Amino acid sequence: MGLIQREIERIGISTIGISIVREYSEKVRPPRTIFLDWPFGHPLGEPFNIEQQRAVSVKALKSLYSIQEPGGIVDIPFRWGKESYSDDKYFEDLKGIGILEP
Amino acid sequence: MTNISRLKNKIIAKASTRFPSFSKRFTDACQVYETHGEIPWAPLEKELRYCKLALVSTCGVHHINQEPFDMNDPNGDPSFRAIDLTKPLRDLMITHDYYDHSDADKDINIVFPVERLKEFETEGLIGKLANTHFGFMGHITGACITTLINKSAPTVANWLKADDVDVVLLTPA
Repeated sequence: MGLIQREIERIGISTIGISIVREYSEKVRPPRTIFLDWPFGHPLGEPFNIEQQRAVSVKALKSLYSIQEPGGIVDIPFRWGKESYSDDKYFEDLKGIGILEP
Repeated sequence: MTNISRLKNKIIAKASTRFPSFSKRFTDACQVYETHGEIPWAPLEKELRYCKLALVSTCGVHHINQEPFDMNDPNGDPSFRAIDLTKPLRDLMITHDYYDHSDADKDINIVFPVERLKEFETEGLIGKLANTHFGFMGHITGACITTLINKSAPTVANWLKADDVDVVLLTPA
């Protein structure tokens, strides 16, 4: 996945990748990555857990701005099967997503 | 590759998904392509609410009427499938023996979060969701890596550029 990401970024499009194997991202070195220590086949979480899928998507989109160095990896601290994606936490995350960070 | 080999791949994929310690051993044993030198870098200088987004996934997603990814070449299939969002989501399927996609078969959004991005578009968090997205198959090795880097990936990149896409979200299997 990271190899495709590099070619898309090379043409001038900003990219963010979701990784569930940190070692792969460290070796392939895509421009921007968020890492979740989650099982294969579940980068956005569990089926029909909409709040969880939204929370991961928001983390990815925010990292488009927060990662300032090429090859940056953001570790997302969501624990598999142990988090509640409560409204408060979720809406907090949504704040400022469309605003460029200084 | 024989049907027995495909069955073996599917059993390993199921075990890797269900038992994380097994998955760690499996990924450690995999040869990963290492890159060197400069990392491509195109900083996002536009607010998200004005950006056009597209998805690229290596989860093996494609439309039912498209040719499935080739599961018989042990080096994988470096080709891609264009995903047309104007078609219904039930028209999508996954061909990929190297991970257990039984959960993704129930809800494609866990590997290809298209409905979540559609919601973000409706809510104004993102400017626009593109109509065309791209599905690849992960697990590309050997000579197929060269095809992926030199042919398939640049073709998709050019397509996205021509479609005025500002941001691409990439998801694995």
